Amino acid sequence: MASSLSHYLESVEESLRLDPSAKGEVIKELETHITDRLEELKESGLSEEEAAATCVKLLGSAKQLARQMYEAYSQGSWRQALLASMPHLLFGLAFALNWWQASIWLLLVLVFILGVALYGWGHGKPTWLFPWLGYSLLPVVVAGLFLLYLPRGWSWLAILIYIPLALRLLYTIAVQTIKRDWLYSSLMFFQVPIIIGWFIVVGHKERFAELNLERLSDFAPWIGLSFLALAATVAAFIRLRQRWLKITVLIVSGLMTLTLVVYQASSGLSLPAFWILISAMFGLFLTPALLERKIKHSRRQPKRRGGFLCQR
Amino acid sequence: MAQRRELMKGNIDSLLLCLLAQRPMYGYQIIKELERKSEGYFKFKEGTLYPALHRLEAAGLVQGKWQMLPSGRQRKYYQIMEKGSAVLARERAQWQDFINAMRLIISPESA
Repeated sequence: MASSLSHYLESVEESLRLDPSAKGEVIKELETHITDRLEELKESGLSEEEAAATCVKLLGSAKQLARQMYEAYSQGSWRQALLASMPHLLFGLAFALNWWQASIWLLLVLVFILGVALYGWGHGKPTWLFPWLGYSLLPVVVAGLFLLYLPRGWSWLAILIYIPLALRLLYTIAVQTIKRDWLYSSLMFFQVPIIIGWFIVVGHKERFAELNLERLSDFAPWIGLSFLALAATVAAFIRLRQRWLKITVLIVSGLMTLTLVVYQASSGLSLPAFWILISAMFGLFLTPALLERKIKHSRRQPKRRGGFLCQR
Repeated sequence: MAQRRELMKGNIDSLLLCLLAQRPMYGYQIIKELERKSEGYFKFKEGTLYPALHRLEAAGLVQGKWQMLPSGRQRKYYQIMEKGSAVLARERAQWQDFINAMRLIISPESA
């Protein structure tokens, strides 16, 4: 009977990629609509089962409804686009204008980014937050890399204590983000393959964690340009309405920027390294989608037992 | 029928703004009113109404507010905003021009 309607609403809820409050409101509104429609259909002489089936038919595809609802909210304003691309712009300008050499400036930028990320996390996780969040997690990763090069004995401390804790933190934040929408997690880690690529290019061949400042200085304009390309991509991502276009923009821009890294550093980056970076990029991009599927699957079973209309 | 659906799809925002300019309404009421006023001409998948309403709301053309009924049930009423009225005035003028031009060409007297 009403299980078809309950199933319909669950299907809409599962497919809706909105923040929890907006999602709850949409479902509540659909519930009131269904209640009105069911009353009218039953008054016209239909049985409960027939009324539910007719109601589902009149509503149309749950997936289409969810997609259209996503598109109603998915386009951010220009202000949000600027805000989302700001951390990439800051890093881009730091390298393009050689500000990176003033370590106090970099430190201030990192503190500012962390502050903005914490503010956004505590204020409903808006779309512009995720690039800021990605950058605010970078020091956690970099600190782990440098801890590996501590004097003998101390590096084990990093491996046994710091790295598991850091991975736990990264995983928790990634899962929280994926619960909202896996695409935001991809947006959050979007810059990681590019940063790793430049890190390899300007690093010492023998001592991975040490940067070659002379090479860094040589490549600074190109590093700046790649960050500016990321900023433009994020702005386009925020402004686009269709989901498939957002995904396409991230993939195409990621590939083009990685190609720029390899092209500019042909002496420092081999073809296998390029393929590893491409794989890392797709891995970072697709893992959130797979994790989301897993999370949804694990939630589905207990939820089905108590649908909205089944409880009536 | 498919042609009618396409026509409606392209003009759903104008239709919704027209209805909401008369008085605030909730989703189900809008569907019934649209059907009644168009004498059954405008019928569509009911699920597509809500994305359209939310799109108008996100654009600041309408505003939705939950209201508690005496029965204890809640309904979300949509009302047109100033920005929505301005958009509607522009679209009304465009439609009027279009209808006049069509009448000049299509009507038998023009032949």
